[in-house]
Amino acid sequence: MTTETIIERTGDKPAKISFGRLWDTWGVTAILILLLLCTPAIAPGFLEVENLQSVLRESAYVGIVAVGMTFAIASGAFDLSVGGQLALTSVVSLMAFSGGGTAAAIAAAIVTGLLCGLVNAGLITRLRVPPFVATLGSLFVFRGIAYLLTQDGPKTLPYSQIHSPFVKLGSLNIAGLPLPFIIMVAVFAGGWILLRRTAIGRRTLAYGSSPSAARFCGISDTRIRLFVFGLVGLTVGIAALTYITRVWTADGSAQDGFELKVIAAVVLGGTALKGGKGTLVGTFSAVFLVSVLNEVLVSRGVESAYQRIVLGCVLIVALTIDGLRTRFAGPGSFRRAITGLIPRKTTQATS
Amino acid sequence: MGSGAHLQGRSALLEVDDLTVEFPGIRALDSVHFDILAGEVHALVGENGAGKSTLLKVLGGVHRPSSGEVRLSGEAYHPRRPADALAAGIAVIYQEFNLYPDLTVAENVFSGREPYAKGSRGIRYAEINRRTSELFAVLGVTIDPTATVGSLTVSEQQLVEICKALSVDGRIIVMDEPTAALSADEVTQLLDVVKRLRAEGRSVIYVSHRLDEVFALADRVTVLRDGKHIRTCDIADTDPDGLVRLMVGRDVESVFHRDQVSEGTVVLELTDVNAGRRLKDISLTVRAGEVVGIGGIAGAGQPELSQVIFGALGVDSGTMTLNGEPFRPRHPGDAMARGIGFLHEDRKVAGNLPDLSIRHNLTISILDKVRTGIGRFLAPAKETDVYDGYHRRLNIKATGPDQLIGQLSGGNQQKVLLGRALAPGGRLLLLNEPTRGVDIGAKAEIHRLINILTADGAAVLMVSSDLPELLGVSDRVYVMAGGEIVGHLTGADRTEENVVACATTGRRIFSKELSKR
Repeated sequence: MTTETIIERTGDKPAKISFGRLWDTWGVTAILILLLLCTPAIAPGFLEVENLQSVLRESAYVGIVAVGMTFAIASGAFDLSVGGQLALTSVVSLMAFSGGGTAAAIAAAIVTGLLCGLVNAGLITRLRVPPFVATLGSLFVFRGIAYLLTQDGPKTLPYSQIHSPFVKLGSLNIAGLPLPFIIMVAVFAGGWILLRRTAIGRRTLAYGSSPSAARFCGISDTRIRLFVFGLVGLTVGIAALTYITRVWTADGSAQDGFELKVIAAVVLGGTALKGGKGTLVGTFSAVFLVSVLNEVLVSRGVESAYQRIVLGCVLIVALTIDGLRTRFAGPGSFRRAITGLIPRKTTQATS
Repeated sequence: MGSGAHLQGRSALLEVDDLTVEFPGIRALDSVHFDILAGEVHALVGENGAGKSTLLKVLGGVHRPSSGEVRLSGEAYHPRRPADALAAGIAVIYQEFNLYPDLTVAENVFSGREPYAKGSRGIRYAEINRRTSELFAVLGVTIDPTATVGSLTVSEQQLVEICKALSVDGRIIVMDEPTAALSADEVTQLLDVVKRLRAEGRSVIYVSHRLDEVFALADRVTVLRDGKHIRTCDIADTDPDGLVRLMVGRDVESVFHRDQVSEGTVVLELTDVNAGRRLKDISLTVRAGEVVGIGGIAGAGQPELSQVIFGALGVDSGTMTLNGEPFRPRHPGDAMARGIGFLHEDRKVAGNLPDLSIRHNLTISILDKVRTGIGRFLAPAKETDVYDGYHRRLNIKATGPDQLIGQLSGGNQQKVLLGRALAPGGRLLLLNEPTRGVDIGAKAEIHRLINILTADGAAVLMVSSDLPELLGVSDRVYVMAGGEIVGHLTGADRTEENVVACATTGRRIFSKELSKR
């Protein structure tokens, strides 16, 4: 028997574009656009320039850290400590500013953020603590240190420094776009390249998809953890800079519940909780979906308690879709997920 | 002890008639007959895939037969779930134990049937502990009923399973490979326990690859092969060689034969390598252009051997050389950098990257080669070239490079993973069960590919539990048992009988090295 008789070459059919796969990347973006189209009707005044600038500026620190968190969740891990990291990094950066000015403040924020990430990676790889537990613990530790450093009052930017270039970080507009928003876009762009076009990004996805298979592809779990948690720390450092130059003060209680906002944005964006998939486009849209939704609620005079409830409900709906899509994975998963929700009636014999 | 004479005239406790079990695409059991008498130890033997486990699962209420009849004490027996089997007095002890590791021995034995004190919801611990001790006394062993099961050895956990079977007054106790993970002393203890069970008047169905145990224990033996009943006879009427012939007896003409390949230089050499408790004094060589097979029953250390060479498991002592240079990889990345390709035996758990496309599954081991430009960024075009290459060479049937690997058939998934193993461009390939769970067409293609690769000078170390494949594809075969190499078969010694004999009877066969072929 010759090889030719065994080989029967089948022509390649173009891959079918399934609704499910489109939804994974663009679903949240579509919802965001729909919401924006509705805003003139439900929240007049929303589309005014100053209001939009404020939304973009306020979204920046959640958005920047959401880039790092997208990597963490794509690798199959959470970083619950980002709130503590943000408080600690902000406090240290403000202390550095009063001692050494703008350059010192920026360096202090970046270094502190990276160090926090390395501590997390060390706990996970050296002491073999699961990421969820390790970062839950370090959340308290980081916040605790921030409280210690601010025992005699919050660290602040003195009013005399209002013309310092550092302060401009949070307030400057370039071509009408707030600088924090521009920084956030840059971080997203860098993140996209890291995730889609570098070996370490690909290895992160591979590791999140199957840690045991990744091991046999020569992927070192230590390196993945170091990269992912270091990157989260780095994004926290950058976010802290946009945060303190906006609010001018920080102490141990800064941005309480920050980690949940960030994780909510990433999950809402479509990054699968079980790892292996990450979509920065989705994360980007989700960050704005949350802040636009908040802004609309605020302009309608809805109390902040209800805003939390709405965010919670949105998150639960997003997670339900994610869970159903995982359960009904494969082509046609979307349709099956929806129809699977409806209990089937017992078929009646009709003949 | 192994005589069937005392069984004369007894009526069958359990009868299996014309039993057929079909799964999609496979007939796992084909009109099988089987029976067991009261107070009998009945051994069930056959190669992997012969249908032994399927038969056990029918008796245990896991699988439902497609056709055929099972009678227990003359009455129809159709268990719908494992609990039905237990209620009927049939206790099946699978290789994977059904124990709760965090509960105590007594809690496990009486799990779901705990006696409660009157008027309260408390379990009567004193009673279950006492009754558990009594059951162990029947077996002639002592295990603390209050110890947690997770703290016990495998052998003790097995005894807990047997004790559970006794506690429901199991008339028929079925054991699937009970000694696979036991040491020699523990095996002796288990054999004593089985004999005590028989003395109690209970029947035991004993599945084992180890023929020495079968001959030490069984009254009768049934041989299955490819889902068919081959023979049932008194143990006194057969011998180990006869059983091996019955287990193997296959049309040897139908299997793959590879081209004769001239021997090249030594690529890999292991000398007295020890690793943990799984590998003992392993010495072997693999030359360029040859396929070296590793055979043996499951759990003898074959996958561990390939993982040690790949750097996924540490070496305690001994030396390894690769192309004549010392070689001691500490991580699979080290081995891959030296050009070694690896295929894991478990495609689902340690092969597929399920969320990644075929293209990305192929290039994950060679990301350095698909980068471009100053930034050394990944180049999708180069990755697609890699996909196109393997797509054609391995005849992968897919809708395109972006299809997820999980959407392919098993055979095509395996081809993608083979492509990943080949991608480092290696001169040495470590292939574990290269055709497991693959259909016949893909199997032939994979064998053809191995043939082409070695003709190009690659060295292949192949672990296979598929005997025709092991013998048909390999030029030389090492047989492992208990973490040691117990056979080295070359030339005319490469027979199924020799492999099975080495793997199951403790016999050692080392062919005289042929200086030149």
